[in-house]
Amino acid sequence: MMYMLQALDIHKHFNHLEVLKGVSLQVAKGEVISIIGPSGSGKSTFLRCLNRLETIDRGFIEIEGEVMAENDAHGRARYRDEKDIARLRRKMGMVFQNFNLFPHKSVIQNLTLAPALVQQAEQPAAEAYARELLEKVGLSHKAERYPFELSGGQQQRVAIARALAMNPDILCFDEPTSALDPELTGEVLRVIRDLALEHRTMIVVTHEIGFAREVSDRVIFMDDGLIVEQGSPEAVLGNPQQERTRSFLSSVLSAW
Amino acid sequence: MTLLPPMLKGWTITLQLFFMTLVIALPLGVLAGIARISRFKPLAWFMEFYVWLLRGTPLLLQLLFIYFGMMAVGLRMERFSAALLAFVLNYTAYLAEIFRSGIQSIDQGQYEAADVLGLNYRQTMSKIILPQVFKRVLPPIGNEVINLVKDSALIYILAISELLRVAESAVMRDGTFIPFIVAAVFYLVMTAVVQQFFKWVEFRFSYYR
Repeated sequence: MMYMLQALDIHKHFNHLEVLKGVSLQVAKGEVISIIGPSGSGKSTFLRCLNRLETIDRGFIEIEGEVMAENDAHGRARYRDEKDIARLRRKMGMVFQNFNLFPHKSVIQNLTLAPALVQQAEQPAAEAYARELLEKVGLSHKAERYPFELSGGQQQRVAIARALAMNPDILCFDEPTSALDPELTGEVLRVIRDLALEHRTMIVVTHEIGFAREVSDRVIFMDDGLIVEQGSPEAVLGNPQQERTRSFLSSVLSAW
Repeated sequence: MTLLPPMLKGWTITLQLFFMTLVIALPLGVLAGIARISRFKPLAWFMEFYVWLLRGTPLLLQLLFIYFGMMAVGLRMERFSAALLAFVLNYTAYLAEIFRSGIQSIDQGQYEAADVLGLNYRQTMSKIILPQVFKRVLPPIGNEVINLVKDSALIYILAISELLRVAESAVMRDGTFIPFIVAAVFYLVMTAVVQQFFKWVEFRFSYYR
């Protein structure tokens, strides 16, 4: 069976701090994975390593059967040429915690910019598709607005539509609701849940335990640069086997 | 009134220096600002040295140095060309620092968003980063442009008949103070136009935050 994405034994350090100590993940087509864990556990760094926003020190990354990085004879990760990497990275979409919309572009321009520049899409076609995606995230009436005119939740929905505009095979979310006011998280989570229902392949780093339970096929709990426990949401969240998972869950859930 | 025609003529020299310096130094400043933070270290170091050298010495000295320096090595350069060269070199250094700080003030997330969407370096700079930089650097650029209006008087030292020199010779010749007042009015009008222009550009850029 071919995985959409394979990351094996990923190691990463910043200065003297070892952030990832050998993390492995295999993602099947259509699988929705949530990664939870305390801050500083390495979950965001791991996600960013998957599409080379961070480079890895050691390990193996393969996207849809094509190698992006593998160890050389000295056990150090070597990446393929820039051109191949650019092609592989385009298979992955990314939604950031802080949206990172382009403030000088209108909503519709945020969505059509990359398709026009990178995929040489025709402007009318790119725009029609962009409007379709805005409809999907419930923002077709905001197409001509600028990001500063939107609420945080609306901006994040635009960012999701912008990622979708490139037709990625795998969608990554890096704490998509962490920068939002509590009353705005719902609208963003609903959009992500709808995408999960379409059986898109997704990896979501999140603090929203309830959301992880509802949408994920698999929940991964990371702590201190390692995967501590993984499995179905019922297993990991309902009946965790590891002490560290239990104490994390009780600390997050007791906050309610 | 025999005063106005020569002063208008001096004024056109001042304007020539002003516009030619801007047209050449603005794009050079953008490039120099990018080079200043290049990952290719020798280039970044060279630009740092360049900026230090050109900001660290008086523009007046640079004017004299270029004009007489060129003569010393046997290159005859027209006085106006020497003045223009000195101004372009000097203003490029100041503008480079403004563009450098502008580029560095753009959030890292903008680069990352462009990166994951597949934009290459050139597309990221030209479509995402620099348009935002231009908006942010408008106030400091406005300052530099106003300085340029007034610095243009320095080429007086090379005996070029720009506005201030014409005024001074009229004062000497006629024994009246009025040409200085006229010159001051000319400078004030120019800076007022620059100020209004930048106000308008900033307004044009206010469609986003």
